[in-house]
Amino acid sequence: MSGTSIAGEATEETLPAMIVAAEKAGKARRRVNRGPRVPVWAIVVLTLSAVYFLLPLYATAVYGFSNGKHFTLQPLWDGLGDPGFQTSLRLSLFYSVLTTLLALAVVAPTAYMVELRFQRLRSTIEFLSILPFVIPPIILVVGLSSMYGIKSPVNLLASSWAPVLLMGGYFILTLPFTFRAIDNALRAVDVRTLTEASSSLGAGTIRTFMKVIVPSISLGLVSAALLAFTTAMGEFTLAALLGYPTFPVYLLNVNGWQPHMGEALVLVSFLITWAGVIALAAVARRTPGTQVVRGGPM
Amino acid sequence: MSRLELIGINKRFGDQIAVSDFSLTVEDGELVSFLGPSGCGKTTTLRMTAGFESPDSGAVIVDGVDVTDLPPNKRGMGMVFQGYALFPNMTAAENVEFGLAVRKRPAAERQTRVAELLDLFGLARVAESYPHQMSGGQQQRVALARAVAIQPGVLLLDEPLSAVDAKVREELRTEIRRMQVQLHITTILVTHDQSEALSISDRVVVMSRGAIEEVGTPTQIYAEPRSAFTAGFIGAMNEIPVRIVSGAGGVVERGGRRVTAPGAAGLVDGDLAMLLIRPELLEPLGSTGGSLNGDLTVTGRVEVQTFLGATTRLLLAELPANPDDRSVLPAARRLAVDVPSATAGRWPAGSELAVRIPVAASRVIADGTAIQPGGHA
Repeated sequence: MSGTSIAGEATEETLPAMIVAAEKAGKARRRVNRGPRVPVWAIVVLTLSAVYFLLPLYATAVYGFSNGKHFTLQPLWDGLGDPGFQTSLRLSLFYSVLTTLLALAVVAPTAYMVELRFQRLRSTIEFLSILPFVIPPIILVVGLSSMYGIKSPVNLLASSWAPVLLMGGYFILTLPFTFRAIDNALRAVDVRTLTEASSSLGAGTIRTFMKVIVPSISLGLVSAALLAFTTAMGEFTLAALLGYPTFPVYLLNVNGWQPHMGEALVLVSFLITWAGVIALAAVARRTPGTQVVRGGPM
Repeated sequence: MSRLELIGINKRFGDQIAVSDFSLTVEDGELVSFLGPSGCGKTTTLRMTAGFESPDSGAVIVDGVDVTDLPPNKRGMGMVFQGYALFPNMTAAENVEFGLAVRKRPAAERQTRVAELLDLFGLARVAESYPHQMSGGQQQRVALARAVAIQPGVLLLDEPLSAVDAKVREELRTEIRRMQVQLHITTILVTHDQSEALSISDRVVVMSRGAIEEVGTPTQIYAEPRSAFTAGFIGAMNEIPVRIVSGAGGVVERGGRRVTAPGAAGLVDGDLAMLLIRPELLEPLGSTGGSLNGDLTVTGRVEVQTFLGATTRLLLAELPANPDDRSVLPAARRLAVDVPSATAGRWPAGSELAVRIPVAASRVIADGTAIQPGGHA
């Protein structure tokens, strides 16, 4: 674990899988000896995958908890006590939380309105939402710097509005994940009929959205939040080039001059991410009515 | 609780005419069904009444107030949807309470009202259950309770029973009627199920291709349909070709016999017409023949027997007309004859059967307004 993926940056595939895995872990334990026999090839694939994923983690741990000669937790204590660590982590958490909130606040109502009234715009919005996959962050940041940089008439970079650039960039990078997660959840419930039912009972659009739609798609919102949060937490390029000493930027620097401490902190960031995943999965499991029902005979 | 008027409503979707010149007044406390095949415009009319679609022209008036331009949430109409549309994140009680909460009723009043309604619909036991934990019938009751909780002036039911199984459907439709009478709510029921419409409505609106075919009480619609469409759509109906002998006298001819038949008056002499008669009104003559008393007969071979419980339906293929019959009328399509099941053994498949057509109970309509598929015997 090093380089740009230091904070356990998740991809679209891995994160939902992580949530599901976390949810299933408890159930699996209760079902020992009941399931069908696991085929040998599955065990082989599982073992190889586990080795592939866990070995670097192990190596990081071995390197991180060592002073070059023997095992010690000193690099960890050094790292946790380092003011740079605390400041950068705080900065990352701050922008990641804001990005997550921004993503939810913008994407959820947009996806709802597209589903409800602007079906014709769906393909356009879907296309826009996956653009960040096509345009790498480096291009995005170069574009942002020239558009809003020192030579631009709209010079945000040198103003107090600069954080907006970072947040905006983060927001764009999270779009493919957040839109997909929320849109899938919306399409699984009958948004139109639920909205009409709520409307016939006297509720306006905002109340319907907050009281009926949001709770019905809570699982999708949790996934979206998780994806947005981890994407922002692990983002390196935008932060580094716009000059924000976020946690990933700090880790890269630390790795240069205190590699043992850097690796120990990588493990910390990994644990933080996992704690977040498990906490959100737990919240999702407790939310009532997250099972999708459309009605009909049962 | 309200009088609903729909005046000259028209609606198109692109080139398609969905509803054309629909006018109807539903009286206070009346239950009116919109009945017709799918695509006849009944649901579109209901949705325009609710405010989910806006008519291209025409008006929706409730108690003298024009609500055509009001959004659905300002119309105070309760609606029950085909798939129930219960809020999945709320318990039965919370679903019922939703409309009251929107109206900012005091908590105590809300609780009392919710408890009353859950009781009225037999839902007290599942008050704290979520929709996915309830049966289809229970979900439907919650949907009804939720719609009437807001004390709507008009209650709109969009195929409310189409998703529940046959037995529950019969129970629920009686329950809907009981509740509707008890609460005295002006109600529109959209359905494609004629037995549903006939069994619980004060009046039935038969619709076809976006327009009203006929409005009447269930008895009128069943016994004296005024259009071929209604006749064919409601219940099983036999069509027997006859020739108009005298439009002035209402006399028709078939198989060399001339009889006076209801509905024939005013039709054009010499034209082909259809005599409509219900299967349960045809009387087997057996081998003895019998007095015809100004009625007609048809002779055919029994093709199939269908056991329906108390009665058995015989499907009769008319035998070639008598060679000396000079009128040369086309043979009737398959005739359905309902006989008591106890006597059905007398006419096994393949046997010959003559039936008497009690003309006084039939109705003659001009041909060319052929009966739509789905209804005739």
